[in-house]
Amino acid sequence: MKTINIAIDLGTTNSLIANYNSGAVKIYNNPLGLKQTLPSCVAFRGNRTIIGDKALDYLEKDAENVCMLFKRKMGTQETYFIPSIDKEVSPIELSSLILKELKNFVSDGDQLNAAVITIPASFDTIQSNATKKAGYLAGFKEVVLLQEPIAACLAFANQSNLDIESSKHWIVYDFGGGTFDVALVEVNDRELKVIDNEGDNFLGGADFDNLIVEQIIVPQIEAKANITNLWKDIKSKASKYKGLYFELLKKAEEAKKELSVYPETEIELDIDINDFNLYNQIVITRSQFEAVIAPKVEQTITFIKKVISQNQLINSQIERLILIGGSTYVPLIKQRIKEETGILVDSSIDPTSAVVDGAAYFAGSKPTSIVVEETIEEEEVSTVDTQIFYEQNTRDLEELITCKVEGAAINYRITRNDGGYDSGIKTVLNNGFSEFVPLLKGQLNRFKIQVLDKDLNALKTINTVAINQGSYNVLGQPLPIDICMEIDDIDASTTRLEQIFRKGSILPLKKKIYKTASKSILKGSESNLIINIVEGLSKGLPSSGLSIGYIEFSGKDLEDDLIKGTDIEIELEITESRDLKINVYLQSCDQEFKNVFSESERAISISKINMEINAVLSDVEHLITEQVEDENFEYSSKLEQLRVGLIEIQIETTLLDEDDVSDQKYQLDDKKRKLIQTFDTLTRNKVIALEIEEYNNSKEGLEWQVNKEENEKYRPKYLKVIANEKEVINSGDKYLIRAKIKELDVLHNAIVQSSDENFIGYFFGIRYNSEFTDTKKAQKLIKQGDDALERQDYKSLKHVVYALFALLPDREKDKQKQFKDDSKTGLR
Amino acid sequence: MLEIINQVFSIQLKSNKDNLTLFNRNIDRINHEFEALGFHIINPIGQTYRNEMTDVEANITGDFNEQMKIVKVLKPIVYQKRNDENTLVQKGIIIVE
Repeated sequence: MKTINIAIDLGTTNSLIANYNSGAVKIYNNPLGLKQTLPSCVAFRGNRTIIGDKALDYLEKDAENVCMLFKRKMGTQETYFIPSIDKEVSPIELSSLILKELKNFVSDGDQLNAAVITIPASFDTIQSNATKKAGYLAGFKEVVLLQEPIAACLAFANQSNLDIESSKHWIVYDFGGGTFDVALVEVNDRELKVIDNEGDNFLGGADFDNLIVEQIIVPQIEAKANITNLWKDIKSKASKYKGLYFELLKKAEEAKKELSVYPETEIELDIDINDFNLYNQIVITRSQFEAVIAPKVEQTITFIKKVISQNQLINSQIERLILIGGSTYVPLIKQRIKEETGILVDSSIDPTSAVVDGAAYFAGSKPTSIVVEETIEEEEVSTVDTQIFYEQNTRDLEELITCKVEGAAINYRITRNDGGYDSGIKTVLNNGFSEFVPLLKGQLNRFKIQVLDKDLNALKTINTVAINQGSYNVLGQPLPIDICMEIDDIDASTTRLEQIFRKGSILPLKKKIYKTASKSILKGSESNLIINIVEGLSKGLPSSGLSIGYIEFSGKDLEDDLIKGTDIEIELEITESRDLKINVYLQSCDQEFKNVFSESERAISISKINMEINAVLSDVEHLITEQVEDENFEYSSKLEQLRVGLIEIQIETTLLDEDDVSDQKYQLDDKKRKLIQTFDTLTRNKVIALEIEEYNNSKEGLEWQVNKEENEKYRPKYLKVIANEKEVINSGDKYLIRAKIKELDVLHNAIVQSSDENFIGYFFGIRYNSEFTDTKKAQKLIKQGDDALERQDYKSLKHVVYALFALLPDREKDKQKQFKDDSKTGLR
Repeated sequence: MLEIINQVFSIQLKSNKDNLTLFNRNIDRINHEFEALGFHIINPIGQTYRNEMTDVEANITGDFNEQMKIVKVLKPIVYQKRNDENTLVQKGIIIVE
């Protein structure tokens, strides 16, 4: 049996939509702007229709073209005349627009054919039928109505798992943003029934904000700025205090929320009044706030008393009073109701979503009469042909999307997928439309274009429009190769390249990077910090790239000691004409070096060439022996050629003086780079293959752990780690793969260490190790471990394992020692 | 996290107002960290306001026209990158004139 599942709270000021799915209710968010609630407001601007938040923009300015609070007019003959479209619009049509917009919130699931829509307890038959009609107009084939207080009671009953045996009376107190309702509900084991209701359509939380501004903030500003009549002035249309009213209202709203939680709050004012800048903090206490709103709260209590007494009941016959509506967050309300009536006040359900929540439970139990036809209906019968034109890449912050439409399309709508832009519903003119859409800087901006018929049903949805801002310009020139910086790779006791600008990026480029000093440099010492900007493949060896900027700071340049671990800020800029500029700021010395490469002059030192060749030579020689042993002669002869080439360069360098002025050292440097590049290509695949193998081993081990029943809880974490493994492995970047291996290992360790028993394996792994720094101590510990094992005391075993590990030589320290200071860049 | 972003934004506004350049480097550094966490923070001050901007909550003073400018930003616009897609996580709160 299929149930309705979809529920809509079609509110006077705000509306919501939710879905019931196997026991859980999901309330959908507005894809445009974060909130669950959609203001029940529609604005008409000539050929554009705006629904929700953005329609509120026009409320003050262009009131006659904005419709709000139309729920109060449901079921009446009254219509709204909209000058901007020269048409009468009925409350039913307006409500159907809200319902259609809510349907857009639902991104998953089937087509929406049936819904439960809530109505106030006060709605009569005509009003109820009008609501149904709005539902049908919005495209629902089946509409079931449910009274709001009942929905709230359902939400409450479902949440608290109440067993109701005898008949009881509950009161639902609904204090929203703009309206107030109180309903008396009879509850028994079979049904919920609204007996009576009362309310005020012009009383809501917005009144509280106004009161805070009028009676608390404005008097204080008047006193401080020595003016009078401010409250009247800020509200007048011709006010000289432009915008102040809204700013204060916003602050009052925040203060109200804070005061619902804290006993006091502070409003910060920074405003200009008569050319005088007023900067001040205003402290508002909860008691101040309560004094101001007390009359409004008392008004609501009068309604409660009225609804009880006119049904010949006394307070003690009311079992509980349920609070809903955003304004009931204010603690005074709960407190005053309790004091005045003595009824149990329940504020356990979420006041904003209670109605839609309860309605969704109802929808989940209500069978739908709509039979889904077996033949799958084509969702969008494409009766329209569209042709779209736009610039895919741009440097502008706005781009034109033009569309030619052929067919029955009447309206269109463009939204940006990140939620930051909505064109509103607009009319198609002359078989097409053009729209300037704003773009987010430096991002890929995706758009959704809907072509709609006259009832705003989608005829065609185009999801393929994506505009890239800032990455390409016909006039700009792309970078031919990566620009990298040489940094320390402590793990491998060598240096490596880190990409700064990717190949293909468009000049000019500018970037700030933050590095950490990997060694201390004392003021006045010989030790130095090297910044080497290299043009070359970021995956290659630093010595295989072309150094386009090289600078050394020694201790003599420093005003203070550079401390290991402190920040080094490097700002790099490459202009359109490929000038390289760099600013370096050392945090621990508070010293800035500006524009250190303004002249592009290549500094090449013979000793550095030699050092680099030596490093590669030893690798090459090592590889040759290995390959010869494996009888891999073709490969080893290639390596042999390399070796000879490198040695030749070395010999040539010995014939050169360090201060040689000819261009010979540049030639040598060039030769060296080419040879090292060849070496890089020859070995890279091998290195990567090794890393991938290690990755797979680590993954296998971890998977084995995760597959154990007791470790099931780690599965989501595991899946998260391996989520992008394809990308990482295909990157061909060994540092990326290595980082991933580390992530796997960390999780593996966490799982293993979560159970003491797992240390048995560790213990056997370490007990035969021969590298302990203190063998005597180690023997003693191993003995203790054996004993613990026999006793099955795994907790003690764990401590033994930790102690044994501490006796192993510190490899990290060794690595640091091996990594000679003069080959380090000092950057990490 | 959004509250931290808002506070840093507010510090930035105040120090700009009093021409305090002293903290610029620190604020830049903090903003860099936000970017690294996937946050994209926008201060739309001075931009022309369009009603189509669903990433701001506008409080409009004066008459509605094409030349409306954003004159005050109480909270910045914040997007966050999730699975390589941007999502709005905070609407900017602005005053438009």
